[in-house]
Amino acid sequence: MPKRRSHFIKKFLIFISFIGSIFLLSGCWDRWETNDIAIVTATAIDKKGDNQIELSLQIFIPKAFGMSSSPSGGAGGGAVKELTFVISQKGVNMADALSKLQAELPRKIFWGQCKVFIFGEKIAKEGIQDHLDFLLRHPQPRERAYMFVSKGKAKHILELQSRLERSSAETMRELVDLEIGLKVTLKDLNEMLTSEAQAAALPYLKTMTEKGKKKSFQFPKIFGSAVIKKDQMVGYISQRETRGILWIRDEIKSYTVTFEPEEKKGNISLNPVTAKVDLIPQINGVNWSMLVKIQTEGTVIQNNSSLDTSNLSNLKVVEKAFQDGIRKRVEFVIEKVQNELRADILGFAKEFHREYPKQWRKVENRWDEVFPKVKIKYDIKAHIRKEGYINKPMKFRIEEEKE
Amino acid sequence: MIRNIKKLLWNMNEKHKQIQKNLQEPKSESSLHLSYHQNIEALRSVYNNCSDVIFREFLLLGKKKAMIIYMEGLSDTMGIEKHVLSPLMQETKNESLTVNEMIEHKLIISNWNSVYSLPECIESISSGNPILLCEGENVGFSLGLSKWEKRSIEEPEAEVSIRGPREGFIESIRVNISLLRRIIKSPALKIKTMKIGTYTQTTIALAYVEGIADKTLIEEVTNRLNRINIDGILDSEYIEEMIEDNPYSPFPQILSTERPDIACANLLEGRLVILVEGSPFTLIAPISFFSLLQAQEDYYQRFMISTFIRWLRYVFLGVSLLLPSFYVAVTTFHQEMVPSALLLSIAAAREFVPFPAIIEVLLMEITFEALREAGVRLPRQVGAAVSIVGALVIGQAAVQAGLVSAPMVIVVAITGIASFMIPRYVAGIAIRLIRFPIIFLAGTLGLLGIMLGILAIVIHLCSLRSFGEPYLAPLAPLKTKELKDMLWRSPLWMMDTRPHLTGEANLYKQTSDQKPGPNKGGD
Repeated sequence: MPKRRSHFIKKFLIFISFIGSIFLLSGCWDRWETNDIAIVTATAIDKKGDNQIELSLQIFIPKAFGMSSSPSGGAGGGAVKELTFVISQKGVNMADALSKLQAELPRKIFWGQCKVFIFGEKIAKEGIQDHLDFLLRHPQPRERAYMFVSKGKAKHILELQSRLERSSAETMRELVDLEIGLKVTLKDLNEMLTSEAQAAALPYLKTMTEKGKKKSFQFPKIFGSAVIKKDQMVGYISQRETRGILWIRDEIKSYTVTFEPEEKKGNISLNPVTAKVDLIPQINGVNWSMLVKIQTEGTVIQNNSSLDTSNLSNLKVVEKAFQDGIRKRVEFVIEKVQNELRADILGFAKEFHREYPKQWRKVENRWDEVFPKVKIKYDIKAHIRKEGYINKPMKFRIEEEKE
Repeated sequence: MIRNIKKLLWNMNEKHKQIQKNLQEPKSESSLHLSYHQNIEALRSVYNNCSDVIFREFLLLGKKKAMIIYMEGLSDTMGIEKHVLSPLMQETKNESLTVNEMIEHKLIISNWNSVYSLPECIESISSGNPILLCEGENVGFSLGLSKWEKRSIEEPEAEVSIRGPREGFIESIRVNISLLRRIIKSPALKIKTMKIGTYTQTTIALAYVEGIADKTLIEEVTNRLNRINIDGILDSEYIEEMIEDNPYSPFPQILSTERPDIACANLLEGRLVILVEGSPFTLIAPISFFSLLQAQEDYYQRFMISTFIRWLRYVFLGVSLLLPSFYVAVTTFHQEMVPSALLLSIAAAREFVPFPAIIEVLLMEITFEALREAGVRLPRQVGAAVSIVGALVIGQAAVQAGLVSAPMVIVVAITGIASFMIPRYVAGIAIRLIRFPIIFLAGTLGLLGIMLGILAIVIHLCSLRSFGEPYLAPLAPLKTKELKDMLWRSPLWMMDTRPHLTGEANLYKQTSDQKPGPNKGGD
């Protein structure tokens, strides 16, 4: 009995000393209380002078948030207090600028929640690969953060205030999440730039100004896309053209197609319900071509033309017009991308590589020259499955009465 | 230092031996004498200075001297007067009966037996049965006239149910056995009794259903009970601690219940029930971890609802074990794991809190435990004051003063509620206790620490046994058939078999194919 007990005591003492050493030895090397970190909500990278960059961080102010959210906060409810501030510093590269920034901030810079990275137009035109290297190498920045290019200085966008969201960073993130325009994360961007096509498109931000009675209000808006080819920005396509890209990439989610049926006055608006897009590459000797196959169905949401869609022959006319509308959109952007920008942001390269690996290897190094010559064929099938409203349009009845 | 401890332990052991010697009272095997006076003197000397023992001498049928000895308050005085004294004191003339015949003919008592030794007499007296001694006889008569004050049968307060029987065990073992017998009427319900405790001489009853319960199991439990040598048993917890498999585990390996229906349900599954005189809590063994997460109500409700509630319980088991540590780990090590909006809220709330998250959690958890303990022990009138202090001072004022953050109060409150979701109080306490080391691990090693803690707990649970039955059965070892009463609660007509580990001997408890419905016929 005494032996067994003392054995247990011995074991227990060893156990306790081990457990105790956890608290003393581990040192909690990456332990940071939430009030010791500076939460970065957005980052902007701009060019500053020759060979220098300016790194700007939008940082969340917890103090201000606590005040504005608690009812007894005493902020008075009047002026909306800013929840973020922007701090910037120049440096040779991002790491350099960051170390300088850290010297200015009393809290540790925390990248884990930064979901927005904006490149200034100037720096995008020079090349973004050097900066992506930092973002991809550093353990903290999220690979799922959204990437943008801004017209003018990117820092300016961080300084904007938001009326609805907590910060301009959140505004941009929510805008992208709606999937009206492009949605490109750090990971996507890296994949696109290292893929066969070596081209990418990023949402292009502009600062808009709304003139109010007392003072004008500035807000960021997505204004088409910036086209990046081999890490440099080569051009810009409009929002309408971006829609065409979304069609081809099969990323179209929710938007409205408005078109004018032939020989009739007025417009019809449709919401696509489903869209299925196939890119089928074809090689005939030296002729490379791409078949763009789109199958879509739509619902009429507004009809102010003089066509009665409940009539089957009329419906055919509308369907035809719907098809042409989509075709026009897609043609428009392919034309621009192929001839003007010469950047394969549509992912044709990957399709050819998959289908014809042998032929692809031959053109791999001169894809830039081949891409503009690829012929595009269209096979677009559009149907209207729901008219949305079973009565005849008012306009139509009025016209009937006149006759 | 270790040497000193050894020395100390050695000394303790020596003392322990002495104590054991003292405990083993010399049991006088002296049988009763033919001499009436000698017997009386012996008893009087045993009950020296026991003012509650009553020695009443009278003339047996006007001829012989006799004495009835009983304890005041333990025996039915009215009964003694009416059924013993009055018939025996009537003088008769021509009858010449032997004492045995007299007892048989004159006493109006259903339950009596003869005793032949002094210790037997003492035992009989102390359990309330009066002893009748006569002149010229070396036999005493123990009369079944014990009667004492006891609590009436009430609804158990710790195990309330909305639907289901409301009777609870009480402190009297005889009543408790009768409660079992009223549910299981078959003679297969066997009850073995024994006395444990040198001074208290507490009656312990081991109940089992013959033909279902494993014989080796009965033997093992009996052996473990017989091994106990202690001065007194005041509650069934004494028995539990003396017979369990792993005394160094925070988890109870024996279930205690106040409800006869739970005891009977377990009897029918092949488990054993140990009843202890003076304790309304009966013990059930062997059990598995999941027995602690089942409530009687599970079987008195529709099976879907029971399944849902069972799952709720499992979820909140995890919450009560891990939520505070998870909060600490995530807010101090893994801020990137928190959704942005939530992190901003937490950061804002924590902005002016002077303590690190782990200190904050410990502060609040310990306060909560203190409040709970105070609430249990305090007299009811003071209870209200405690809850006011708890709710207002610790909940609201602490947040307003900026000592703790509001999210932390929410975390602690949810954890508190979660720990009360576990139907067995003892299991809830075990979980609450383990929470603290895990909080420490989370505060030093983050999620890695939590994982280490969980691993340690799982390994411990896997190695635990309750009377040989694996503690995590039927999950580890996996018995897919028995998940019917663990992962979900199957409808009663689908539960055809008893648990394999305890009911192996008699596996089928009902005919299968009893799914109810219209047009089932019925020959």
